[in-house]
Amino acid sequence: MQIMSKCLPKIKIANRLHVLRAEHRMTQEQLAKEVGVTRATIVAIEGGGYNPSLELAFRLARYFKTDLNTIFSIEEGSK
Amino acid sequence: MKKLDSILLKIFLYGIPVATACAIFSYSYGPEFLKHATGYVRLLYNLAGLVLAFWMMLALYLSVRLLISGSFRDKVLAKLTFIRERDEREVVLTGKATKTTFLTSLAILIFLFFLSCFQVSIYRVSPGKAVDGKTGAISLGLGFSLLESSKQANPNDTMQKKDLFSYTGLPISTTAVILVLIIWQIISYNYSMRRLSRSIEGDMLK
Repeated sequence: MQIMSKCLPKIKIANRLHVLRAEHRMTQEQLAKEVGVTRATIVAIEGGGYNPSLELAFRLARYFKTDLNTIFSIEEGSK
Repeated sequence: MKKLDSILLKIFLYGIPVATACAIFSYSYGPEFLKHATGYVRLLYNLAGLVLAFWMMLALYLSVRLLISGSFRDKVLAKLTFIRERDEREVVLTGKATKTTFLTSLAILIFLFFLSCFQVSIYRVSPGKAVDGKTGAISLGLGFSLLESSKQANPNDTMQKKDLFSYTGLPISTTAVILVLIIWQIISYNYSMRRLSRSIEGDMLK
């Protein structure tokens, strides 16, 4: 992982999870239950401290009936 | 097999206070006391010995099961070390914490290995064996043996000398080293896990 980070610049991934959750009027606990993770994981994803696996990303997209690009995007300025 | 393991594990855990009591009883009433003991005490002594033997056999069996059965190991050691893998984030954190624990444990083992190999001795020899009138001497050495009994005496020991300081390996017992390492692994894992969880929270606050 350290070797990789030396070669490639780090990509910061932004997400709109908290926006989508607010639109659906859901609590973090409810969303966590729906996608089968703990509330701490939802908190970490929303805060940008943790990037979910592809499986969880697709589960979130499927739950909100949207695609991955709507939820996750590369943050401006990081390449 | 899983059910049997589960039952035996419960017997082992609930048997800890009983085994401790039996060990204390057996230690308090030694063989000398037993010669003058009544039949009732003798019976209790034998019973305590049997219980202790059964508990020790159980401990050995469960240790072997921990080595060979992956599912049993996951079940028991996860509880013992407070590992929680409720979702993918915790699995990632567990991996990172385990890596830290493994590397620090390895560092400790390497450190202990060198400590157990080194031999240092500062001593004074008799004036007759003095070199250039100097009686103080320092001896450095490396010792390695596979078996405890195969340790050979240092030929310098036969010399007439007065030891000022002597270090010939770790002064603590093997059992103590193993126990320290077990405790270290549990503490190190839990500390790393807590630190990693906090660092994620810290990232979120930035």
